[in-house]
Amino acid sequence: MTTILAIESSCDETAAAVVVDGRRMVSNVVASQIELHAVTGGIVPEVAARQHLRAVVPVVRQALTDASMTWDGIDAIAATAGPGLSGALVVGLNAARGLAFARGLPFIPTDHIEGHVCANWLGDGDEPPLPALALVVSGGHTELLLMHEDGRFTRLGGTRDDAAGEAFDKVARLLGLGYPGGPPVSRLAASAGKHRVRLPRAWLRGTDDWSFSGLKSAVQRMVAEPGAPPQALIADAFEESVADVLATKTARAAEREDVRCVLLAGGVAANARVRSRLRERCGVLGIPVFIPPPELCTDNAAMIAAAAFRHLGSAVAATDALDVYPTLAPRMRVGITR
Amino acid sequence: MTTANRLVVTTRTAVRTRALGRRLAKLLHPGDVVLLQGPLGAGKTTLAQGIATGLRVAGPVRSPTFVLLTQHEGTALTLYHADLYRLDDPEAVADLALEEQARDGVLLVEWPERGLAALPATHLLVVLEPAPAADTDANARRLTFVAVGARYRHILDGLHAAGLADHT
Repeated sequence: MTTILAIESSCDETAAAVVVDGRRMVSNVVASQIELHAVTGGIVPEVAARQHLRAVVPVVRQALTDASMTWDGIDAIAATAGPGLSGALVVGLNAARGLAFARGLPFIPTDHIEGHVCANWLGDGDEPPLPALALVVSGGHTELLLMHEDGRFTRLGGTRDDAAGEAFDKVARLLGLGYPGGPPVSRLAASAGKHRVRLPRAWLRGTDDWSFSGLKSAVQRMVAEPGAPPQALIADAFEESVADVLATKTARAAEREDVRCVLLAGGVAANARVRSRLRERCGVLGIPVFIPPPELCTDNAAMIAAAAFRHLGSAVAATDALDVYPTLAPRMRVGITR
Repeated sequence: MTTANRLVVTTRTAVRTRALGRRLAKLLHPGDVVLLQGPLGAGKTTLAQGIATGLRVAGPVRSPTFVLLTQHEGTALTLYHADLYRLDDPEAVADLALEEQARDGVLLVEWPERGLAALPATHLLVVLEPAPAADTDANARRLTFVAVGARYRHILDGLHAAGLADHT
């Protein structure tokens, strides 16, 4: 039995979790979701390193408390090394290294994108069979990855401009809805009734890439048209366009790569239409689709522990030279390289 | 040379906007700051993609709205591509320490109006907007380059010399 404590601080969220054997989550703490008022003076972590700094010790303590554990129960420490915002990453990474050094524990630098994929291993459901095709869709990422039998990843494609979640946020803004844009756009789309309008799809044939920037501009033009369709119809057409291209191209790639399952991950995996279109397109091919529960789709540390468990063999000493990496491609990555 | 601090270029397609970015890149040096201002869908990321190609840095260059800042390494310099869209507090912009981080490279900032006070006072401002209504081409864009500081007037001179400005 191996118990890993993981820290995630790649962007907005400061998070810590304790996970046993990469699957059993005994605690999962995200700073913005807990009451840290007493400790931080009420500041919710956003982008700044100093906000992660304020939150990191309280969330780690909370993760141990929620797990009813002391440091003696922890076998290894992991943290997100990238991709993400450098200033944010270094806080979590160095806090984790400091803890590993103090406790004499092995340290596992972990990839954020691989973490999202590995959220599909958390819980006591069936374990996803490999090789698998992983679609990571969030505010910051739209990535299609082939996960080989040995757990290595090959990147097949991704967005060329806006991430899928970003497209939802910006269309929400165009329609005068709130942030984050996913839930309000979906609610508005659900009220569309029987009528339909159609927005374009950028298929980028012959590639595993997506583009959502043109769709955003098409929404903008449709909203501004004299006699524009009702906003609910525009929201519906937008959501359908995003779900259709994501699901259709992922299913096609899954068939071509002959994978045993598709793994959906990232914040946009919480979108009902994306989930159902992907299940439909993969269902006709007989390819099962795994989707984590919504709270494990957004940034969290349990997913980092799940990914780190797969790299126990490549743990390093806390004192080894190590740096964060801000950008996804094309440099070699922890996890995505080994 | 002239020392105009303003120059207007109209591009008819996204491909032309990218090409303009490549030309601009040839005039940029480490330490330069370019602010890209314009509404959603104005072509800010498209122009940034052209600049990245021209600087020969590693891609792909995508919209950094959610991640706030991406770095693209090249042989000669690093491109720092920031996007302040999600931020509304100049203090949060200051916390990104963009100028400090980007000393060894070129800094591009989308949505700079979210935190102008926290951005370098001298810079090249590029205002992007859909080209005037008479133009029926949905992808046509008007780019207005505004130089703030002698260094950036020099860049505008370079764009002028390359014959890129619209004839007025």
